[in-house]
Amino acid sequence: MKIYERLNKIDRRIIYAILFVVVTLPLIFPSVLKVTPMTPVENLFTAVDKTTDDKALILDCSYAPQIKAEVEPMAIAVLRHAFKTRKKILVLSLYVEMIGLATRALNQVVEEFNSVAETYEDSIIYGRDYVFLGWQPPPIVPMLGMGESISNIYVVDYYGNQTDTLLMMQRIRNYNDISILVALSGSRIPISWVSYAQNRYGLQVGVGCTAVSGADFYPYYQTGQFTGLMVGMKGAAEYEELVEANHGVKGRRVASEAMLSLTYAHLIIMLFIVIGNIGFFLHRRKK
Amino acid sequence: MKKRIPLILIFVAGLLGVISFVIPHPSYQVYDAWIRNDLLRVLSAFAVVLALGSLLRVHSDKIRRKRRNWQYSWLLLIAFAVSAIIGLFGGVAADGILPTTIGSFSYDIQTLYENIVIPLASSMFALLAFFMASAAYRAFRVRSMEATLLLVAAFIVMIGVLPLGYSISKHLPAFVQWILNVPNVAGQRGIVLGIALGVVATSLKIILGIERAWLGGGE
Repeated sequence: MKIYERLNKIDRRIIYAILFVVVTLPLIFPSVLKVTPMTPVENLFTAVDKTTDDKALILDCSYAPQIKAEVEPMAIAVLRHAFKTRKKILVLSLYVEMIGLATRALNQVVEEFNSVAETYEDSIIYGRDYVFLGWQPPPIVPMLGMGESISNIYVVDYYGNQTDTLLMMQRIRNYNDISILVALSGSRIPISWVSYAQNRYGLQVGVGCTAVSGADFYPYYQTGQFTGLMVGMKGAAEYEELVEANHGVKGRRVASEAMLSLTYAHLIIMLFIVIGNIGFFLHRRKK
Repeated sequence: MKKRIPLILIFVAGLLGVISFVIPHPSYQVYDAWIRNDLLRVLSAFAVVLALGSLLRVHSDKIRRKRRNWQYSWLLLIAFAVSAIIGLFGGVAADGILPTTIGSFSYDIQTLYENIVIPLASSMFALLAFFMASAAYRAFRVRSMEATLLLVAAFIVMIGVLPLGYSISKHLPAFVQWILNVPNVAGQRGIVLGIALGVVATSLKIILGIERAWLGGGE
């Protein structure tokens, strides 16, 4: 077999095997790669950071298990940021299949903070520091309805408590008491938040999305409809970096640990594209 | 009559949906809030029941008639029954009337979700990376000027978004941001405007009864 034929016809199993090795090795021996935060992520971080004591932020965890690897680190980073700076936070999901992931992220971060808390004041208390609203179908109902009254839409929270009896909810009534909503999703849900909640009630919207859908969201970021934007695992790693650098939050940084794996995977894919094109050119010249 | 009632319903519902955005007067917004917060939620609850009923019917029928891959339908029905029973009676925080632990073994709805649904869904999606790598190697050929431009832009963005990009040049990530903010946004905005106009036109056709394919039934 001639050289260009070999370059053109690499067995796909070889590609799979090499990719498998370069992706898994850095995950087995993790090391945190330093990332430099980009402006869209910094803008989101600043908007969350500026939440005043009389306001809360909403975290919409509408991401499916398929994109957990990319988006869950964002949820964890935002929750760490909120809890460390004592911001009040409301968590919800717009679809039922995503409730479990929101629960998982919340449980993990609450446990992280409460395991090192020494006093009741230091602890993260349900109803005082955060509320898990759960799921309310169809999505347009909470999107528009929370502009009038949050406790009318979520009469009970995820655990069955009367929402308006929770301490935090005495002051948080509707979007007027919300500083920013951070929508974490791999679909077009963040655009719906702009269409309904922002256009009608002026709610600030920040976004965390998959790398694939990032390009779709840039027009909305450029116009200022999205206050900030975290794109893919790199965006999550940048937010983790900002939270640690600015507030000294220690904890496992899953997205930052995966940066090495992501880098190698990108380089390998690029290498194979180059090899394929060399083979293609040699073959064309031979013809 | 079978077609006229749905057409009247869609006309009224469509009109009410549009009007709420152009009449901000409180007297109308009260009705709008009632439609969204009460009526819509009741309708969605019916839709959930209808969807579950339909799912069960389709798979029961498949088993009864022993259609292709009917064995998998048993899996679906068993998984459906188990998760429904545990979800309904085990409670969302494992605090329901149904015990969800045997010794140290826990089988509450969250544990099932974290140990079955998440790994299965994540694994399926992870396979995409391998197919993408193989497909990029086979299909990403510099055959024309446009393909060359696409490849160069893709390489710059791929390197620029990585931490490696900053090590190569401090200006590379900023250049990548420019690509995403300017040429990408220009293209995306054109597509978004086109889609929006298409959605408006199709919605109007449906509301006015010009487009009737959604009614089904063919001729």
